[in-house]
Amino acid sequence: MKQDKVNITVIIIFVIIIGLAIWSIFTYPIKLGLDLKGGTQVILKATQIQQKETSSSTTSASSSGNVSSDAIDKAMLIMLNRIDKLGISEPLVTKDFNNNIVIQLPGVDNPDKAVEVIGKTAQLEFKIVEGYDETTRTYKLGPTLLTGDKLASAKAGYDNNGQVVVEFSFNSEGAKQFEKITSENIGKQLAIVLDGEVKSAPVIKSTISNNGVIEGIGSLEEAKDIALVLQTGALPVNLEIQEVRTIGPTLGQDSLRQSLIAGIIGFILVVIFMIVMYRGLGLISFIGLCSYVALLWGILSALKTPLTLPSIAGLILTIGIAVDANILIYARIKEEMYKGKTKIVAFREGFKNALKAVIDSNVTTLITAAALYRFGTGPIRGFAVTLALGIIISMFTSIIFVRAILFLMLNSKIITPGFIGVKILKNSNPKAQSQKEQ
Amino acid sequence: MAKDKTEKQQIKQQQQIITDRSLYKFDFVGKRRIWFLVSTIIIIAGIVLIFVRGFNFGIDFLGGNLMEIKFKQNVSVTELRKVMGDIGYGSAILQSTAPDQYIIRTVPLDIKEKTKILDNLDQKIGIVRPLMQDRNVAAGFSSQIIKNALIAVAISIVGILIYIWIRFEVRFAVVAIIELIHDLLILLGFYAITYREFNSTSIAVILTILGYSLSDTIVVFDRIREEIRLTKKDSFYDIVNYSENKTLARSLGTTATTLFPVLILLIIGNQTLKDFAFGLFVGIISGNYSSLFIGSPLLVVWNNKFPKYKK
Repeated sequence: MKQDKVNITVIIIFVIIIGLAIWSIFTYPIKLGLDLKGGTQVILKATQIQQKETSSSTTSASSSGNVSSDAIDKAMLIMLNRIDKLGISEPLVTKDFNNNIVIQLPGVDNPDKAVEVIGKTAQLEFKIVEGYDETTRTYKLGPTLLTGDKLASAKAGYDNNGQVVVEFSFNSEGAKQFEKITSENIGKQLAIVLDGEVKSAPVIKSTISNNGVIEGIGSLEEAKDIALVLQTGALPVNLEIQEVRTIGPTLGQDSLRQSLIAGIIGFILVVIFMIVMYRGLGLISFIGLCSYVALLWGILSALKTPLTLPSIAGLILTIGIAVDANILIYARIKEEMYKGKTKIVAFREGFKNALKAVIDSNVTTLITAAALYRFGTGPIRGFAVTLALGIIISMFTSIIFVRAILFLMLNSKIITPGFIGVKILKNSNPKAQSQKEQ
Repeated sequence: MAKDKTEKQQIKQQQQIITDRSLYKFDFVGKRRIWFLVSTIIIIAGIVLIFVRGFNFGIDFLGGNLMEIKFKQNVSVTELRKVMGDIGYGSAILQSTAPDQYIIRTVPLDIKEKTKILDNLDQKIGIVRPLMQDRNVAAGFSSQIIKNALIAVAISIVGILIYIWIRFEVRFAVVAIIELIHDLLILLGFYAITYREFNSTSIAVILTILGYSLSDTIVVFDRIREEIRLTKKDSFYDIVNYSENKTLARSLGTTATTLFPVLILLIIGNQTLKDFAFGLFVGIISGNYSSLFIGSPLLVVWNNKFPKYKK
């Protein structure tokens, strides 16, 4: 009877936890990943900014080595700022295992343009022109005297001739430096260089302190983009687009619907299969499975992991794994009963003998899930999380929860050989079991 | 009375069948040469095809642009090919996913090129925006995916090897890894033989199978470990066969329950889901097959060469 108390306590604790999980499901509705709700994902590789010296000097471009983690973090912040200014809601900017920057933008009308703006380096530089190369038609430029990080503001507009320009003004430190540069170089040309391209090179007529314009811009739209990126600051790294992936909303909905249908039909087939094979035990496993799904879904909701196609695949696969623990145990119980053991002994032995197999087979899967989490990218990580959680939760539900229910029922008259799907055993012969066991 | 006696005899007989390790239904180990041959043929066929024809790599691996477009009306491949040819993309790969829906694969495109294609298609046929999907992958991006996948595979294999070594014995661990590699080769072989697109989904599938395919094996191994402790009398050959027969119901049951949802995805799913389900389907079956017909018989072969248990 003491055993019964333990079992009842276990069941109560589990019911409370399941209740919490269901509460979590409704409180934190699970978020859908881009592949299910539609949206754009961009993977950008950060490389060192190459000094594009158009001058004849020998300072050649430093090739891209490893980019510091700090620079990438700073770039991510700047990009987030730009996305914000573009008015895109719920963006996600993350870094993957390879130090790639992953940007997720749900539902953008013109993803290509957004990507272009977000990934623009926007390195604004001021240099003195030292000459002009007639053959290559490029300016020979001096060293960088001032950069765009000293800007206070930038906005698109028109100059007196009706040309599109970007007007900018310096902050106090920038203004001081700009004043010094212009006063020392009156009569010379000052090149305004954006991302290595000389936008204009006006002659310095007098000392200028706090503002200026960038000319040579194609359209007002482009000017607005430039103003936006100048306001948010230059990226400390160069970005190369590795992958842009846009999923339309219809495709995402299709995927979600189809995988849910597959999951539900699969679930029903599994339950039917279990009831046919294991009768009453199958019904109990149905309770176990339902609580498993509720717990997993609840924890995924609480963790705010977005649901993606790979994680649905993981979910479906772990339903198989969750059932497996039940099948292992029930098959063993059945076998022990066929051996002629009484139901109480058979249940005990069945659980005990199956336990090792359940743990060993699940640990090997967990090892892989851990490796996938550590070395996987994006969706594969989501899959690894689902898989690992699924394995752990399924072990808890089938080894502890279902066991408690079954052992509580064991003393009652409900559990008969027929309940388990065992046909013989009208008279169990206790001698038969000990024959071979030694 | 007589009836009662036969029933008792039946029960006794049944119990004897259950407890006698030399009485089993299927002799998995005895026919091992056939199974080894079957696997070898599939794997060699796969490897030959991988070298001769290669995989049908998707844009994840080759770089390129893929757009899935829904048109405002039904359109035939020839019509679409003509429109694409007129603007200089005659070599695009066109795949119809519905009468009014196509996947168009080209080389990597920049914004201008993409706009040109879409504007032309819109004028001449009429397209529904936003597009169903649109991907652009830089060439060479996949080297990272592959590198990561290989690291994950290597770490998993080492981790599993160590775990099984600790929990069982070194020979069990080595056989398990052989089985794992067998399953991966079969899966890769199937991608080559069926010439199904090999993309980042395939990588995810392979990694999944890596984690899952051993569970059958472990269950059989666990049973063998248990039976070895219970008997000194029976031969290892019998123990392995007996253990396999004892775990057969569970193996097939689990395989069936795992395959149900996968099969449904394979039937009703869209292209991405089908890709996923296909790999899982092959991998799960191969994992089940190899644990029954390859792994455990290998243990017997090993024991014949280096006897540790009764031959």
